Amino acid sequence: MIILAIDTSCDETAAAVTRNSEIVSSVIWSQSSLHASFGGVIPSLAQRQHQERIDWVVERAIKNCKLKIKNCDAIAVTTGPGLAIALGVGINKARELAIKYKKPLIPINHIEAHLLSPFVNSKFDSEAGRVILNSKFPMFGLVLSGGTTVLCLVKGIGDYEMLAETADDALGEALDKAARLLGLGYPGGAILEKFARSGNPNKYNLPFPLQNDKVKNRFSYSGLKTAFVRLFEGIKNPTKEDISDLAASFQSRAFDHILKVLEYHCSLKVTSLLFGGGVANNIELKKRLRKLCKKHGIKLHVPYTNKLNGDNAAMIGVTAYLKNKNVKNLNSKYGGIEIIESIDRNPKLKL
Amino acid sequence: MINIVVKALNDGQLVFLASETVYVAAVDATNENAVKKLVTFKNRPFGKPFSVGVTDIKMAEKYVVLNETARNLYKRFLPGPVTVISTGKHNLAKGVEAENGTLGIRIPDYPFFQKVCKKLAKPITATSANASYQKRPYKLADILDNISKKQKKLIDLMIDAGKLPHNEPSTVIDTTLDDKPIILRQGEIKLKKKNEVLSRSGENTQNIAKELWQKYDSFVGNRAIIFALEGKMGTGKTQFVKGLAKAMGIKEKISSPSYDLLNSYDLLTHIDTWRMINPNKELKDLGTKKLIHDKSVLAIEWADRTVTEIKKYSEEAIIIWVKIKYGKETNDRLISWGIT
Repeated sequence: MIILAIDTSCDETAAAVTRNSEIVSSVIWSQSSLHASFGGVIPSLAQRQHQERIDWVVERAIKNCKLKIKNCDAIAVTTGPGLAIALGVGINKARELAIKYKKPLIPINHIEAHLLSPFVNSKFDSEAGRVILNSKFPMFGLVLSGGTTVLCLVKGIGDYEMLAETADDALGEALDKAARLLGLGYPGGAILEKFARSGNPNKYNLPFPLQNDKVKNRFSYSGLKTAFVRLFEGIKNPTKEDISDLAASFQSRAFDHILKVLEYHCSLKVTSLLFGGGVANNIELKKRLRKLCKKHGIKLHVPYTNKLNGDNAAMIGVTAYLKNKNVKNLNSKYGGIEIIESIDRNPKLKL
Repeated sequence: MINIVVKALNDGQLVFLASETVYVAAVDATNENAVKKLVTFKNRPFGKPFSVGVTDIKMAEKYVVLNETARNLYKRFLPGPVTVISTGKHNLAKGVEAENGTLGIRIPDYPFFQKVCKKLAKPITATSANASYQKRPYKLADILDNISKKQKKLIDLMIDAGKLPHNEPSTVIDTTLDDKPIILRQGEIKLKKKNEVLSRSGENTQNIAKELWQKYDSFVGNRAIIFALEGKMGTGKTQFVKGLAKAMGIKEKISSPSYDLLNSYDLLTHIDTWRMINPNKELKDLGTKKLIHDKSVLAIEWADRTVTEIKKYSEEAIIIWVKIKYGKETNDRLISWGIT
């Protein structure tokens, strides 16, 4: 199944062509990253910028793979969650192409795509009906990014049960905010990680978020943030060592929270964990997750490249495929002008 | 060898050089024709900027304005695989700086590059030598295998340093958000009547928001209402909006809009300017005018970054400025408010 996918949910303008679960071409116009290599985000609004770029990005995705839009089986587009005016640009383009080329249009949830991003470029044995990556459902699903902090139970593709989500800030956002407070610029999560490597995570005693929650069904970073601001303000003329220790302490506590909530749910006896989103670039967190997973007999699956952790359209195309493995059904489900025109943005779409 | 490269760059040629991360496509960043050539080679759309390499912070300062955040990063990470974005001084060839006038600078931790740059005494573009969206070039063959004949013809000189170790690509960090800390100076917003209360917890803050809402909810439908929230990180601005939403009868969960910039819940629109580069312009671009016209309720976090734009709505909307400060005890907050 060949899919042309578009994502404009936030700052990045992205298009990709995928064949089943594999990437044929993927183009991301990332404002923040001159090398298009690190998945940070810089807002410079939003509709106008996407509008200027969308045609070029789609054209480039098609050109890079020597296919034509008429060769595609369907078009997939992110309908949410995200910034409404940004989402609209991608959806308009996708609708226009779907109608022009008479293709079905598949609406995709951006968070679900991050969740399923470890499946991208993984082998899929459809004949044997074996689950991709040779793992069995249910699996844990963890999506951590600038805008999302979600732990869920993946009972099957498209069948998710929320275990915990954030009550205030997303983890990536909290890391970026801590970094900016330390004077490390934006987006600072990656720099914070670099500082943290040479710091002592036990130097400062920051509080464990939501330590008193008996049922661990939510995340929160507001309390940790507050404690961190007050700690930082109490340090006169911080040295480089202080900054490193502060970075390490904050990062470590922020990760403790994720691990504690995950460990609480380990009684569910799940054997796989899917992990995606921008914070999946963090080496320290992956190391700690791996350790926890090992203890509980869980296999950790992350995308095959860090490029998939940032916003991208390849994961949108692959998600569209995983949810619709039967080409024959595409048209009845997603074809026809009426259906195509009814597909609209949903800024607060839930998993 | 250095002299050959320097001469080539001075002549406006496109040269491939090694750096500590990948092979880079180097041209003299002050030479318009050379930069045009690079744009053609990279097969890039107009307006996508190039990072440049310099020898030291002194040279960087000729081309960008360094704020405190930038200085910290230079001190800590450069030379090294970090690209620091600052506001440019607009004295490089067209197309090197981004459309908004910012420029990314690196100091490659690679002696040969340093020597060339020093001798040339001008910044050199340090974009990776692959065509856009192709494999990262750790050896020259990585590039040559993936480009067209036409592209090959554009290359004037390649300095082969063999296979480079697979180091992480450079991390890009933007410092321009910290350029002008826009602080709501005392006196700038003159409150007709100022009120202050002490909050002892997040829940307390939510209740104060509720009480405040009840003072103004009779205006719903007649006027737009803006809650302009100011307060340092972690003071509970989002807590306040949670309380506001509850009082308005919104059942949905309110979380921080820092990343998405804007979340809407029926009558309430929750906005955060924390990561906006041009907060006044971006607030406008989010369609604020229409929201005001539709008599919506807006809660804007980090409103101190966008005072100018908010003030424009003072005719049409009731603007309630809410300031949250840390108090004595850990959970204490001083919340003051007033209308302009």
